[in-house]
Formats: sequence, structure tokens, C-alpha cells
Amino acid sequence: MEKLYVNEVAPDGEVNTVGLFYSRAEAEGVVAQLRAIPERGGCRYEIVAAVRSLLTSIKDRK
Amino acid sequence: MRGITPRREQGMADPVLADMVHAMGLNEAPHYAAIKPTIQAYRRRWVELAPYRDGQVNVTREPVDPAAITRVIKQKARDLGADMVGICRLQPHMIDLGAEVPHEFVIVACVAEDYDKVMRGADGVEEEAMRVYAKCTEIATDLAAHIRSLGYPARAHHNGGSEVQAIPIFYQVGFGELGRHGSLINEKYGASFRPGFVTTDLPLIEDQPREFGVQDFCLNCNVCQLNCPGDAIPQDHVITRGMKRWLIDLEKCYPYSRLRDEYCHLCVDVCPYNVKSHPETYRVFMKQRKEIGYKTPKTN
Repeated sequence: MEKLYVNEVAPDGEVNTVGLFYSRAEAEGVVAQLRAIPERGGCRYEIVAAVRSLLTSIKDRK
Repeated sequence: MRGITPRREQGMADPVLADMVHAMGLNEAPHYAAIKPTIQAYRRRWVELAPYRDGQVNVTREPVDPAAITRVIKQKARDLGADMVGICRLQPHMIDLGAEVPHEFVIVACVAEDYDKVMRGADGVEEEAMRVYAKCTEIATDLAAHIRSLGYPARAHHNGGSEVQAIPIFYQVGFGELGRHGSLINEKYGASFRPGFVTTDLPLIEDQPREFGVQDFCLNCNVCQLNCPGDAIPQDHVITRGMKRWLIDLEKCYPYSRLRDEYCHLCVDVCPYNVKSHPETYRVFMKQRKEIGYKTPKTN
């Protein structure tokens, strides 16, 4: 299953993770809704593959 | 005010769960199909009360002093059965993405769960969780109706319908900090509590965030991670508005929390922050966990 983060990058460069999503369609849908909010107009959004280390579980590390 | 925080759909409306259930050749998640009558009765309560979330506002508005009415509202919530009550100004990140909530403040009323129910196993824990959710629904519904009777708009938010997000509100009113297991940890109740909310324009005095080291503690404690049967709790975190968030992997969580009959609440039940309110129960419960092969705080 694909796992993707949506990150919001504020005009000052601060990055906030919006959430973890399980398909590109799901992530793109969230980004489209955020872009439609006038108050978020200064932000840009990136969809990135969930970083392996953030999903690495205890069993994976053994 | 329009919300900016995505809400994951619950139940079969979540496409991740729906795909996993359909892959098993089923139309309903086994956990939901196996819900017991007592729990169904609690769940019916928030369906019954959903139509009363909002309603007509008294045309005669009573003038109020914010400090005085804040005390009255908090006492009213406690009289209705809340163990914790907090208030903050509503902000976009506290509202579901795309939802409009036309109110200035949010009141959160929480009821503590009886942690001793962990000794009755998964059914006992689930029944207690649903009992408390039903109670929170009643509190939020009554509180919203009371505020409307004073001449101010008010809407209840609970399992029967909600446009607000629990974690950022809990944090802002000073209930505690987000833990590794994805639930907010309170100093007194751990994460063993459930909420109901009321959004309103009644002028109120805000509470403030209060930190007591939870996020730093969670960086070094991995008891929930070690006890998660699905290995769904990650080692590392992301950052959202300065808050560390350990994002649970639903693909690993659902096989244990939705795709089998039993409820799973282990990540919260094993949290060391339960020890303060229930030291003896926590000790016995964790001894049981250790005996079946999971690590306990003492052995980490």
C-alpha cells in the first residue's frame, strides 16, 4: 500500500506535516481542498513518499 | 470559520479499511459485525441525540459577564458528569478540512474511563469506552441546549456528528500533550478519557496550554510501540505546528483493531501515564503483558 505525507510549506519556509495518506488520489484530494482556502494562499504543498525511517517498525529493525 | 485539518473517515467509509475488508471477501469489518448488544445500545445513544446537536436559540439574549458565565458553564458541565472541562478560542486547525463552524469558542467536556476495566479484557475496555462516549454525547447535547436557552448559538459535537478535531483542542485548553500512541496524555487520567464538545458564541474566558514533559517522555519510552500487536506505532515523528506526531500506520493497525472481532486499545492501556491514577491495576495489567511476552516499562 502506498504511503504518502502531505506537507504544508508556509511562506517563511516552515514545514508542517498535514498527515499520512494511503493513495495519491487521497493525498491530492486533501491538497486540492487546502489550496481552495483563500487564507492558505501563501502556502505551497508537497506530496512525498513517507520516509522509510518514519514507518520503520520494531520488527523491521530486528 | 473554515477548517483546515483532514479527518479520516471512520468505519467502512475509510477507503483503507474498505479495501482491506473487501480483500477478505467481506462487506463489513469483523469488529463492527461482532459488536455486542450492550455496546450497540451505547452507540445508539449518539445516533438518537444527533438531531439535537443544534437548535433554536432563545430570542432573548441574557447579558453575561465572561468570567462569571465561564464558571457557571464549567460547573454545569461537571454537574452533568464531566471530569474535566476546558475552553479555548476556535481556530482553523481545530476544524475539519472544508467544514464551516460559525462560532468563536469551543468548550470540551471529558469523562474519565474506569481504567480498572482493562482487567476484564478487550470487551470490558470497549464497553467502558462506549459508555463514556455516550455520556459525553449527553453532556455536550445538554450543555449546548443550555447555552442556546441563554440566547447564544451553540452546537454539540460528538460521535453522532462533529466538525471539530479533538487533539488540538485538548492541547489548547491545557489537558495535556500528544503521546506516541496518538492520543492526548493528561497528567491525572493518562489517555483514558473521552470527549464531547460544544462550539458557541457565548463570550467565555480561555484556558491555556499546559505542558508537563509528555512529548519528551515519549521520545524515550516505547512501551506502546513494543506492546502494539500490529507493530503500527512508528519510531520517529513528524512535526505539525510545533507538536510531535507519531503517525499510526493504519495498514498495520487495522488487522488488529478492525479485522478481528476483538476491540484493541492496548496502546493506551499500556501507557505508563496510567500508573498515577491506577497504580495497582497498572502493575497487575503490565505483569500480565510481560507474562505473554510483551515488554513492560521496568524491563525497557
